[in-house]
Amino acid sequence: MEKSCSLLIHFDKRSQAMANEIKEALEGNDVEAKIDALKKAIMLLLNGESLPQLFITIVRYVLPSEDHTVQKLLLLYLEIIDKTDARGRVLPEMILICQNLRNNLQHPNEYIRGVTLRFLCRLTEPEILEPLVPSVLTNLDHRHPFIRRHALLAIAAIYRLPTGEQLLPDAPELIEKTLSSDQDLSARRNAFLMLASCAQPRAVAYLLSQADHVANWGDLLQMAALDLIRKVCRANPGEKGKHIKVIISLLSCPSEAVVYECASTLVSLSSAPTAIRAAANTYCRLLQSQSDNNVKLIVLDRLNELKTSHREIMVEMIMDVLRALSSPNLDIRRKTLDITLELITSRNIDEVVLTLKKEVVKTQSTELDKNGEYQQMLVQAIHSCAIKFPQVASTVVHLLMDFLGDSNVASAIDVVLFVREIIETNHKLRVSVITRLLDTFYQIRAARVCSCALWIIGEYCLSLSEVESGIATIKQCLGDVPFYTATEEGETADASKKLQQVNSSVTVSSRRPVVLADGTYATQSAALETALSAPTVLPGSLASPGNLRALILSGDFFVGAVIASTLTKLVLRLEEVQPSKAEANKACTDAVLIMTSMLQLGQSSFLPHPIDNDSYDRIVLCIRLLCNTGDDVRKICSQSCRQSFAAMLAEKQFQENEAIKAKAQISYAQPDDLIDFYHLKSRKGMSQLELEDEVQDDLKRATGEFMKDGDDANKLNRILQLTGFSDPVYAESFVTVHHYDIVLDVTVINRTKETLQNLCLELATMGDLKLVDRPQNYTLAPESSKQIRANIKVSSTETGVIFGNIVYETSNVHERTVVVLNDIHIDIMAYISPATCSDVTFRNMWAEFEWENKVAVNTIIQDEREFLNHIIKSTNMKCLTPLSALDGNCGFLAANLYAKSVFGEDALVNISVEKQADRKLNGYIRIRSKTQGIALSLGDKITLKQKGGSN
Amino acid sequence: MGRCLGGSDTLFGLDARKRNFRFSISFHGSCICALLTAYLFYKTESAESRPVTKIFLRCAWFTMVVLAASIVTKSGKVLVSRQFVEMSRIRIEGLLAAFPKLVGTGKQHTFVETENVRYVYQPIEALYLLLVTNKQSNILEDLDTLRLLSKLVPEYSPSLDEEGVCKMAFELIFAFDEAISLGNKENLTVAQVKQYCEMESHEERLHKLVMQNKINETKDIMKRKASEIDKSKIEKNRGDKGGLMALSGPRRIESSFNDMSISNSGSGFGSGSGIGLSSDVESFSIKPKGRPSASATAPSKGLGMKLGKTQKTNQFLESLKAEGEVILEDVQPNVAQSKSSLPSTDPVTLTIEERLNVVIRRDGALNNFDIQGTLSLQILNQEDGFVQLQIENQDVPGLSFKTHPNINKELFNSKHIVGLKDPNRPFPAGQNDVGLMKWRIQGMDEASLPLTVNCWPSVSGGETYVNIEYEASESFDLQNVVISIPLPALREPPSIRQIDGEWKYDSRNSTLDWSILLIDHANRSGSMEFVVPPADSSVFFPIAVRFTAASTYSDVKVANVIPLRDNAPPKYTQRIQLIADTYQVV
Repeated sequence: MEKSCSLLIHFDKRSQAMANEIKEALEGNDVEAKIDALKKAIMLLLNGESLPQLFITIVRYVLPSEDHTVQKLLLLYLEIIDKTDARGRVLPEMILICQNLRNNLQHPNEYIRGVTLRFLCRLTEPEILEPLVPSVLTNLDHRHPFIRRHALLAIAAIYRLPTGEQLLPDAPELIEKTLSSDQDLSARRNAFLMLASCAQPRAVAYLLSQADHVANWGDLLQMAALDLIRKVCRANPGEKGKHIKVIISLLSCPSEAVVYECASTLVSLSSAPTAIRAAANTYCRLLQSQSDNNVKLIVLDRLNELKTSHREIMVEMIMDVLRALSSPNLDIRRKTLDITLELITSRNIDEVVLTLKKEVVKTQSTELDKNGEYQQMLVQAIHSCAIKFPQVASTVVHLLMDFLGDSNVASAIDVVLFVREIIETNHKLRVSVITRLLDTFYQIRAARVCSCALWIIGEYCLSLSEVESGIATIKQCLGDVPFYTATEEGETADASKKLQQVNSSVTVSSRRPVVLADGTYATQSAALETALSAPTVLPGSLASPGNLRALILSGDFFVGAVIASTLTKLVLRLEEVQPSKAEANKACTDAVLIMTSMLQLGQSSFLPHPIDNDSYDRIVLCIRLLCNTGDDVRKICSQSCRQSFAAMLAEKQFQENEAIKAKAQISYAQPDDLIDFYHLKSRKGMSQLELEDEVQDDLKRATGEFMKDGDDANKLNRILQLTGFSDPVYAESFVTVHHYDIVLDVTVINRTKETLQNLCLELATMGDLKLVDRPQNYTLAPESSKQIRANIKVSSTETGVIFGNIVYETSNVHERTVVVLNDIHIDIMAYISPATCSDVTFRNMWAEFEWENKVAVNTIIQDEREFLNHIIKSTNMKCLTPLSALDGNCGFLAANLYAKSVFGEDALVNISVEKQADRKLNGYIRIRSKTQGIALSLGDKITLKQKGGSN
Repeated sequence: MGRCLGGSDTLFGLDARKRNFRFSISFHGSCICALLTAYLFYKTESAESRPVTKIFLRCAWFTMVVLAASIVTKSGKVLVSRQFVEMSRIRIEGLLAAFPKLVGTGKQHTFVETENVRYVYQPIEALYLLLVTNKQSNILEDLDTLRLLSKLVPEYSPSLDEEGVCKMAFELIFAFDEAISLGNKENLTVAQVKQYCEMESHEERLHKLVMQNKINETKDIMKRKASEIDKSKIEKNRGDKGGLMALSGPRRIESSFNDMSISNSGSGFGSGSGIGLSSDVESFSIKPKGRPSASATAPSKGLGMKLGKTQKTNQFLESLKAEGEVILEDVQPNVAQSKSSLPSTDPVTLTIEERLNVVIRRDGALNNFDIQGTLSLQILNQEDGFVQLQIENQDVPGLSFKTHPNINKELFNSKHIVGLKDPNRPFPAGQNDVGLMKWRIQGMDEASLPLTVNCWPSVSGGETYVNIEYEASESFDLQNVVISIPLPALREPPSIRQIDGEWKYDSRNSTLDWSILLIDHANRSGSMEFVVPPADSSVFFPIAVRFTAASTYSDVKVANVIPLRDNAPPKYTQRIQLIADTYQVV
């Protein structure tokens, strides 16, 4: 068992004092100097020095000191020194401190007594505690509550020692007496806790005898009572009935903390609907009454847990939960929405949507900075409601469409996506939605929203009137053609200059390559970037009536291409539905005119940069289509697009269903799992871990007691030989990597016939590793072996190297002999684990992160997919690009990989490969991270492993 | 010998030696109780599950605790951290190092949860104050605690930066300790914590004041007495001055004053006392290294005679409940308490005591044999003070008497009558014993020893057999004999092969106590044999023996109390006792 550490203090190397200076100061008479020296000594000890000679000085010169601070520091000193020798026996000199401790326990100053008693709680050596027991007991009756509190703690601590029952055989009786007689709340709490942990039946008896008064106990004691109830009921479920009453009475207690605890106790004890309902009610009440965000969030977490275990009850509570939306905090709102979205049923959907709608309306009226995001969240929430329950779509879609023209692009995009999905899935709404969309189209400012809306118009204007008004709307928004005349050039010369500036600044900032959602690694055009970043209403185009015109004049030819294809679709459809050929032809020519105007604008010098090739090609294609139409083209335009959209929706739905199914699958037990019948189990042979409940486990995990020892066979495979077989000292080690630390277990064997003295394993580290302990000296008998354990702290994800020597002396040679050890490489793979994040966050992080490492692909693997899999396997990352997107055999592959380190760092990888003519793969792997360490280590790892093939 | 013969006994009630002695008794008592309770546990408790549940996190008896309270910089440097449960250094450092990476920016809440722990934090300028708790912990309580701490930090560290906090690190730790008692929440205010940390104690001041007064008072008395004695020396021939109060001379007062200052100084065995320290070291250093198991220390007959006598099984529970008291008042035949054990109701009480100081070598030779006797008188009412005492004694070679200066020497030498020089003055009355006369007997030889103890350790077959026998002289009937044999540190009590009397193993001091209630003509000699793991024979020495007897060597008795006034002789009782003060075989 590792030594426990009770305090940490930052140690400044500059202030380091020599041991003899400290000693001198301690021996002096100056109290201030003594305090200072004692502090320094403690710091040195904490820093791993051992100052064995100091102890006697302290006993002689510091123990008798009357000063309170000195005494308190002394206790700290005693707390951190080693009180036992290597074999776990108490050092004989520790007896010297007993007298002092005893004096302190009888000190007239109540605080000295108190702190000394508290110190005793941290002692584990019965040999030291034993002579102090009577003094501790006398303190139990002291009139000062400060002393009684700590005396109770000390008694409890002593009693809990393995030999505690012999040291304090009657502790439970004494404490029970104190519990019933004491007035001080804190003291009673301590007493109760002691009983609860050491003499549970007594504690239970006391609790039951006081059941009627529990509501009047102080909050501290009530907490302890709840803790006890939980423990008892877990060990002995039959007892539940007796205690529920107590809990119920506590539920109406004024202290919020107690109420909260009550609720969680109720949940852990019972799954009866009434109990759960009471708990959920309590949580909801807390959610309302507490103003602290932390509390709200944690209460929401609890509600979330309830939701998974007792869904049907939480469904009833949905409206109470929703009330938390009134908090201005986004995290809270998000969590609330997450919870409620999973609770909606056909019965409560109307109410929920009503509330959501109200909230949405609220966001419209108020102008808070964070509202945009909130609005987006609400829109998304309504979106998913509408998908689950299509009947509500009709009530919300119109409301939401008001947001299409909103200045908040993100929520506008969400809305338009929502509209797109609704119009496809909900045919009844099509007509009204289209009409509405055409009405509000002129308000749309953002390019992305525009293009999506245009697509909807192009696809879903079916009837003659719709098609006609669609074309009319677009035309109106575009304004008069041509967009650009020679005369205009001079007028807008300065405007264009400005524009140029704007654009150039944008281009500069966005030069960095961006990974697209499908994993393609693209350098985006500056124009698109502008469109993405914000709806730019340029000064020169403010006057123009149409939003589309403004966009095109700002140089967004992507929108131009979308307009072109929309017009093409509409015109083709018009030809189908319009009986009059002339009308159709007129529309057709109008469309062609618009397209050519756009091309003309694109190629003019009016705009700082000309039309990009892609858009140009598409517009030209549209013109060609309109000029000579064939059936295939017609079909493609009027049907295939929609079909592929429907297919996409279906795929999305399918994936969601799969995910739900997979989730549901997890909770089922395996058919061949063992079932534990708690009541049938003999508790005799049970290990401690099995006996303790999950709450205790939680605590133990937190303190790091749960360090699973991996299977030993596996361990043996990872043995590293550190020295040669012919070296006088043979050493080998195995390395265990925990979360934040690395443990080296080194076996050292003396191969000589001599005794090796002062044998020391000196380790040094490279990278972000730090040795925790100072090495100790050992003496190694001839041909004996020794296990040495070294702890190394890791603070970030990085490949590290540990190297070192073994140094020793032999009796005849006085020089120290050095054996150099093999290096130990710590692999980055031990720290990172696959993780997922959304495309958007991935791209945001990609743009944000500082460190990029670009590795050229150099592999003998010839298949792209195989290569990807190989990289995934060797880097332990997760592929974010969906499998469906990787299908096919086109000779290109682009994928995004993502992983997270145990320290919470993100590692992003993008793979872009292309199959060359000679069947070799060519391309780059780019790694980005916030810190250099990951980028470098991961790059090294990939370089090392990418070759592949051999294994 | 810090004891006072004079009437100033109450003043110096806190005699250092007495306290130590009492202390060792209480060890004794609680040990016996340990046996009894252990036994009881076997009967009542489902015993098998107990030892298992014991091996567990010590501090974490509550499932909702604060694991640590820390201050870290925004860059993740740990400035101060106080842990309230046992956790390894690497663990806490890891947790704290991970924290800054987990803190997001621009969040409106101040907690982070990881797989295993929850951090609740609060930014203070360039620092974070944070609590590490488990995830089950009650957030409302933790926030309360955090709020308290965040108010405390600026109180103790005026500059809230790295340097300032480092400078006040210890003060902060003290404050944290008060605010979070071993991980549990305390309902405290900032003012209270400050008060606790300042440690200003009214009681201490009072105590110091009282101490100072006492010292001054004693100095005054000392001076007065000194001058009185000087005067009395000058006016000795006139014989009309002085009083019994001056019995203990200036030297004695001074020495007892020294003792007192040691015992009461509260902290420390420094200041040149030596007594407390050295005796404690002795008693602790022979403590057992192993842990006696309950069953091993609970032989049914080995309860020790004291408890066996005073405690009955049906009273057991009551006594256990009140054990805090019981331990301290545990009645044993010991020097310090025998005197005051019974408040006398007779108007005149005479106490005659002889104390033995004997050191015998293993081979039987005498190192020291010294007998000191005292005669003291207690008179309840002033009227009964006009008396003289007729003394009788056996003529023992080497016996010499010394009387109090106020006693009429001539009268004593001629008639063996103790009376005051001034017949018009009464003996002082009151509850206290007034010493009248002392005597010594020297030059006694081995033959007059009341009890001899022979100890023969012998090693055979990997075990040491120890044979002990005692032989008592015909002249005394000894009561409450306890022969304590030190043993090597043992895991289990020694196995007793044969014994006359009863035995008890005191695991605490690692001694075997062989007790015989009464040695009279029926058992003038006895023996015991026990076996322990191999040990050096010197381990079993020094053997200490305690006993009392009802007759003395000098056989001093008060034959008669002669009234000086014309009233009937007052009723009187006399108590005669021989006590083994130091009786050792080395």
